[in-house]
This record gives sequence, C-alpha cells and structure tokens, in this order.
Amino acid sequence: MLALVIGFIGGVVVVAREWAGPLRPVTEIHLEPTYLPLYALFSLTRGVVAYAISFVFTLAYGYIMARVSGTEKVLLPALDILQSIPVLGFLPGFVLGLVHLFPHLNLGLELASVLMIFTGQVWNMTFSFYASLKSVPPELTAVSQLARLTWWQRFVRLDLSFAATGLVWNSMMSMAGGWFFLIVSESFVLGRQDFRLPGLGSYVSLAMERGDIRAQVLGVLAMLAMIASVDQLVWRPVVAWAQKFTDEEQPGVESAWLWSWLRRAKLWRATGQLLAVGRRRLAQTRTRAGPDSTSPSGVSGAAYGWLRHAVVFLAGLGGLVGLAIYIQLIASLHPSDWLQLGHAAAATFGRVLCAVALGSLWAIPVGVWIGRNPRWSNWVQPLIQMAASFPAPMIFPLVVGGLLHFGVGLGASAIVLLLLGTHWYLLFNVIAGTTAIPRELWEFSRLSRRSRLERWTKLILPGIFPALLTGWVTATGGAWNACIVAEYMKHAGQTLSTVGLGATINQATEQGNFALLAAAVGVMALIVVGFNRLVWRPLSHRAQTRFTLAT
Amino acid sequence: MNPQPLQPTQHGPPLLELRQVSLTLAVGGAKQLEVLRDIDLEVREHEVVAVLGPSGCGKSTLLRVALGLEQPTSGQVFHRGQARRELQPATALVFQNFALFPWLTVHENVALGLAPTLVDEAERAQRIHRVIHVVGLEGFEDAYPKELSGGMKQRVGFARALAADPELLCMDEPFSALDVLTGEALRNEVVDLYTSKTSPLNSILLVTHSITEAVFMATRVVIMAAHPGSIRAVVDVPLPYPRDEHHPAFLKLSQHIHALITHAVMPEPAPAPEPGPPGPRLQSIPTVSLVATIGLLEILENEGEMGLFDLTHHVDTDFTQLLLIVKAAELLGWATTPGERVKLTEEGHRFLSADIHVRKQLLNAKLREIFVFRLVLEMLERSPEHQVEEEVVLGQLALHFPHERPQRILRTLIAWGRYAALFRYRSTSKIFWAQPPPTP
Repeated sequence: MLALVIGFIGGVVVVAREWAGPLRPVTEIHLEPTYLPLYALFSLTRGVVAYAISFVFTLAYGYIMARVSGTEKVLLPALDILQSIPVLGFLPGFVLGLVHLFPHLNLGLELASVLMIFTGQVWNMTFSFYASLKSVPPELTAVSQLARLTWWQRFVRLDLSFAATGLVWNSMMSMAGGWFFLIVSESFVLGRQDFRLPGLGSYVSLAMERGDIRAQVLGVLAMLAMIASVDQLVWRPVVAWAQKFTDEEQPGVESAWLWSWLRRAKLWRATGQLLAVGRRRLAQTRTRAGPDSTSPSGVSGAAYGWLRHAVVFLAGLGGLVGLAIYIQLIASLHPSDWLQLGHAAAATFGRVLCAVALGSLWAIPVGVWIGRNPRWSNWVQPLIQMAASFPAPMIFPLVVGGLLHFGVGLGASAIVLLLLGTHWYLLFNVIAGTTAIPRELWEFSRLSRRSRLERWTKLILPGIFPALLTGWVTATGGAWNACIVAEYMKHAGQTLSTVGLGATINQATEQGNFALLAAAVGVMALIVVGFNRLVWRPLSHRAQTRFTLAT
Repeated sequence: MNPQPLQPTQHGPPLLELRQVSLTLAVGGAKQLEVLRDIDLEVREHEVVAVLGPSGCGKSTLLRVALGLEQPTSGQVFHRGQARRELQPATALVFQNFALFPWLTVHENVALGLAPTLVDEAERAQRIHRVIHVVGLEGFEDAYPKELSGGMKQRVGFARALAADPELLCMDEPFSALDVLTGEALRNEVVDLYTSKTSPLNSILLVTHSITEAVFMATRVVIMAAHPGSIRAVVDVPLPYPRDEHHPAFLKLSQHIHALITHAVMPEPAPAPEPGPPGPRLQSIPTVSLVATIGLLEILENEGEMGLFDLTHHVDTDFTQLLLIVKAAELLGWATTPGERVKLTEEGHRFLSADIHVRKQLLNAKLREIFVFRLVLEMLERSPEHQVEEEVVLGQLALHFPHERPQRILRTLIAWGRYAALFRYRSTSKIFWAQPPPTP
C-alpha cells in the first residue's frame, strides 16, 4: 500500500512538471525502451483526465437533456452530429484556441491533446446516461418524492444509481475509444507545424515514421500492458462493485481479486466511513436549506424555468453563430474542391461498406459458434474483450508494411485496416444475440430436422438480427472515424495516402487549409447522420417490432 | 388483538378530504382522457377506507392525487381542513410492485422512509430497528431486495412506510403481486397491526380490486365506476375485528357489494340514451379475451344457470374481470343476466356445439352487428384499396369513446376481429385489410 502511495505521488510530480513546463511544440521522443514506462504514465494521465471531463460532461449534458423539458429537441440532434465528427475536425479549434490561451505553458497543448481523447470517449457515455434517466421506474420516483429527498440525494440515490450499470460498461468502452486515436491526439501536424507530446502514441508514431519495427512492437507491447493493468486494477473491481446496482442476482460474476482485497483492507473501510459521515452532514445541511424538493421534476420551479430557457437559448445561439462561421469558411472553396470531396467521400463510403461486409462475413459464423458453445465463450470472451480494447491504429503500420510487401496498395489495404478497427463490435453483438435466442427454439429446429440453410434463414439470422444491427451501427460509425488513420500515414520515411475523405481531412489539417477541412468534416458528418436516419433507424424500428425475442 | 371495532373520530376536520376532484390527461396531441370526475372522499382518524373498482377505473390515480403526487385538473385536496397543492404531510405509500431500490439494503431502504428532518442518529437507528421488528424482518437488515422473496420484499415496503410514522397509510393493491397464501398472511398481519393498541398506525386508505379484501380490512368501502372514474356508492362495514370470512354478516355485506359493483359495471338498460356531443352514446366492447369468454360458456353449460356471486367463487378470478367477461358474453348474445343470474342463451348453446370453423362463421356474423366492428368494416369498404391505417381507426375510437383508452379497445378489436376472420391486420405495417368471410 505504501509503495502504491509513493508511486502515485511520484507520478503526479512528474506529470505536473511536464504540464507546467514551458511550451514545447515538439518534444524529442526517445525510442529506447527505458522511456516506455514514463510515456505510458503520460498517456494514461491524459486518458484519465479526459475520462474525468467526459464523466462530468455526461452527467451535466445527459441530465439536462433528460430532465429539462424542451431541451431534448435541441440537445439530442446536437449530440448526434457531434459524435459523427471525426477527431481531426476538432483538432484545429482545440489546438489554436488553447495554445493561444496559454501562450507560454505546455498546459495548453496538453489540454488540447486531452480534449481530443475526450472526443473519442464521451458520446456513448452521454447516450447511455440519457437513456437510463429516461427509463427510471415511476414508482421509484414516487418513493423519492414521498421520502422528500433533496435534489442532490435524489440525483445520487436514484438517478446515478439507476444509471450506474450502463455507465460502467460504457466507461470501459469509452476508455478503449479514447485510446483508438491516441497516435493522432499526441502527434499531429497543423498548418505545416509539427506538434508532438511525450506519450505512447507519439512513440509509436515516431517508430512508424522511422520504420523501426522493433520500437513499434515495443510500443504495442507497452500499450497492451497498460490496457491490461487498467483492466485488472480498475475495471474488474468497478464491475464487481457495480453488481449491486443491477436488479437481478447474477451468479458467477468474474472474480475480481483487487475488489475483494480492497474490501478487506482497513484503510479502505476507514475512507468509506469518512466519506459516509461527510455525505450525511452534507445531506443534513441541504435538507434544512432546501424546501423545494417536492416539485415534480425535483428541480425547483424558478431554477428549472431559467435553466430551460438558458439551455435552449445558448444552444440556439451557439448553433447559429457556428453555422454562420462555417458557411463563411466553406464559401471560399472552389467547385473543383467540391468535386474532389465528392469523389473522396464515395471512395471512403465504399471502403466502409466493404469493411463492414467483410467483417460480418467472418464475425457472424464465428460469433454464432462461440455463442452456441458456452464453455468456449467463457474462455474466449475475456480475450476478445482485451483485443477489442486495444487501439487498432497502433498495428496499422505493421499490417500495411506486410501488405505492401505483397504489392497491395493503401487503397485496398485501408479496407483491411477499417476491418481491424471495427470487427470486434460485430463479433460481440453476434455472440450476445446468439446467447439470447431461447434454447427451446434451438431444440425445436433440431427436432423438426430443419436443413442447415433453413436453420440459418429461419432461426439464427432473424434471432440475432437486433443485436447484429447494433453491431452494424457501431461498426459503421467506428469505420468512418477510423478512415482518418487508415487512409493516410507516415511509414518508414514516406507518406502513404490514397483517395478518400480520411486522407483529405489529414492533408487539409497538415496544410492548414481550414476551409477544406471544414467542408470534409461537414460532408462526413452529413453522411454519417444521414445514413443513421435513413438506413439504421428504419431498420432498428423493424428489428424492435418484428424481430424482438420478447413475445 | 382488540376485538372492538375502530371508532372513527367524528369531530374536527377529516385527515384527508377530496372535494370535487377531477383529472383530465392529455393523451398524445389534442386528445384528452378524463380519468377522474367529481370525486368526493374523506378519510377520518381511526378509519380504514377501501377504494374498490374494476381495473382501469382510476383508483390508483385517485390515490396519487390524494397523496399529492399528482395535481387534479379541478377540485381540491385538504389535509385536516387545509387545502394543499403539494405532498401531504405524514403520509406514506405501499406499492403493488414493492418499489424498492435494488442498490440499497433492507436497512437503507427502510431508512428512506424516515423523515429527513429527523437528524438524531440514535433516534434514526432506533426507529428503523422498531419498524423492522414490527414487520418481522430482523436478520434481513443487510440483505439486498433481489435476495428476498415477494412476501419479504413487501414487508420491507411496509417497514419503509411505517418508518415515516404516518397519520395515514396509503396502500395500492399491496397484496396482489404476492401469491395467495403469502397475501393472506400479510393481510392478517396488517389487520393485527392497526387493531393493536400499541401501534401508532390508525388510518388507512387502501386501493384494491378484491371485494373480500375490502370487507376483511375496511371500516368503509368506496365503490368506483369507470369511464370516467367516479364514486358510485359508499358502504359502511360495521363488523368487529378480527373478521371471519365465513360469518353470515361478512357474506351478506360481500354480496351487497357484489350487487353494487355489478350494477356499476352492467347498468340496467337506460330508458333513453343521453344526448352527447358525438351523437347518442354508442356501446364500446369489454376489453377481455374471447377465449376466456368461451371458457365462461363452457362452465355455464356444465353447471347450468348460476348466480354472479357463486360464479366468482367457482372461477377463481377477480370479480370485476369476471363481470367484464359476462358483459362480453351478453354483448355477443351468448348469455343473459336476469336478476344477477347468468344464463346461457339458445345462441350460446348453438355456438358451443359448433366446431371451430362454424364458430368462426357465427362469430363473424355476430360481430358485423356490433358498432365498433361495423365502423372498421365500413372504413375498409370505403377505401379504394380496402385498407385502413391503424391511426385512422384509433382516431375514430377516440372520437366515439372519449372516456376510454382507444389503444385498449383497439387491441381487443383486433383480437376478436382476427378470431372471427373479419379482417386482417399486421402489426409491423399497422394496416387493416379486408378479408373474404370464412368458409366451413
């Protein structure tokens, strides 16, 4: 325990020194393995700070969206658009804005990097929290009204507790989502100026540029080690703890050695008691202060109306100003630029569809097989989970190097890269969908001696359809995002690039051509949102009405 | 146990009083549903008032309005003579489905019932200990709700309500989610609780659909009618506690209440239909299953003519539900109810002796005479493609039956219509199609 504390303090000091240091756009990155622990610490800190911001953002945005009537109409579409914007779309704003804000400190650059990681983490958490708040059972709301819980007590004991399970699972996914763009978030070129922050992402990025295979492998291993230890030390205990928020008893939850150890530790208990006392004090003072806990929504009337108007007004104003700036920005583009954009969008669209189709081709049979063999799935699930949380872009150069060797160009191998980034979503969902098909249906189809083909068309495919659809939606979204790192990369001293929206966005960022960048990001957001509305939403309605397994 | 009846305190303002309370809800767009109309109700100290009525008559809503969880559209709620527009003081509610927080232990759930103004740690602990003792939950303090059986969960619900030290305890069908034996046990325990002199509990407002439960527990029974929810009758129950379900006085009162409810659900044919906005009041259909209705016919065929009261005991089901089934049989011409006796008609006999195909034909012909089905068939005929969207039918139903939930009628309409092969319907596209009549 003492070693842990000392290590923690040491880490904080190192990170603080780095962040408070003078502005250094390019830090020299060392490829010696001894630097890896330090770089891992830096990257982890960025991820954790980004996660903290995501968490606060999620609570505020999700709560307002779900509980302040009228704001949903503005905030929900806004969230939909925000999540479709690739990380590079946020980059110039963050970097230029924050470096301008802290012209002499490294802090600005660090924060920009953190915020980019944040954009890879936050959206699914916000959606999950919002969905949970919307489904809080009305009787529990009545109980907390009758118990005259204060706004704060109600938020913690009802809203947050009810949402806990979903938040925990989505937090795990979000951390993985944040690591996905670690390379881009730590080393990027903006307007011909290089930016490089010390971390695992920039380490791997430099190794790629130099074509140093050994360093690439080392970087990948360090990343794996970091993810595995976060999984064991943080997520396992958190998941075990979150069991208490679920309604039904679940036997055989994966053992979490750290959680049982912590639960036994005296220090932990003392901290818990301290927290409990403080909480109660706080609750008491609040009870005496706030008589307004009886209003229907739990938010006092005046504050509620004020909040509602403020949110709608600010969102509207922000939207209008943003739109005006945006139109002004892209107005300078030449028609030939638009033609090029259309061409690039079509190429990337084709790649995304190919990648999802190829992924389905292997993930459906394998997923169904794993789902049908519980013994295997128990064994395989954790491995897949691990593999899925590893950021695929880190091995892209290795894969591209291999494919180049066989004469496959980046145009085609980008499809393989997109596939690497997204097939896990498909596999997960197919396994989940298969295990959800009732055993009786399998038994019937065996008893009635259905042919193999008929079993697939009549039982398996319709049965897994709702889950598969979720997988497709997530995989397509992920693939669009991943094209940024798949269609353009620096490899062994040369720049590889192919025709595509991801490549266009990269080039525009490097050249500082913000008009083109804005237009490309806009086109991508439009396609993603449009595809969601026109294809996925009708399909998911169909899945819920026709293919749901609940009768 | 105290064998004397509770003595309601007649002097002073009542604990709780509802005056001319009405509630209208908006159901999507401009449509409105009148849930409660002109409710007058009072609960005095040392009274146990049971609100009895068919499902969907708004009795749970009435409870929520009385507690201040919902605000009436018009009318007022008084607490000891004072009008209130927020939560009633010193009240507590026991829920049908327990409504326990899954992430809190029994102890923590019960603590939620304590008034937040009670800050003295020792007193809090002592109060929790006492109510846990009262409902017999010692030893379960550290259990989570998911580890408990239904009966134990509802004990936690009671303990949580009692922890508030309520002047008035409200219960919303507290035993109906439990199995029969557990419900019976808990019901007796609650009666013991409020008849014992040491217990602080003395006034109860209970919502139930079981006549026996109402007569067993209440000093006064309030009978509600549906569409819209309104009070039909009030019956005093002057029997001493503990009550015996087989005592002649108990049975006589139960039968009286049965008759009142029968009258509320199946009023004698009115001499003249009252003129309303959408023309004369048209008959809707009872929202029950057709198969259950045929099951009733089978019983009547085996047992012959039966009184409604005996029928309830014969078919172990909720009385108001049974009444709706009888009403459906009457609507279809299969049964008559002269003087609260149910009798199979000639048509009913003919239907029963037919095979499934002939039954479909008979039913098909019968449904064509009933207003709601005629409505749909006419719409199908008028449409050039012989198709009608569900939305259109719902709109018509809402127009003709402003006091009922159109969705419910629609579900029954579809189920019956499908059984009779009157039309076809697909839930994915939400469209009705015309269908040629069935052949044997």
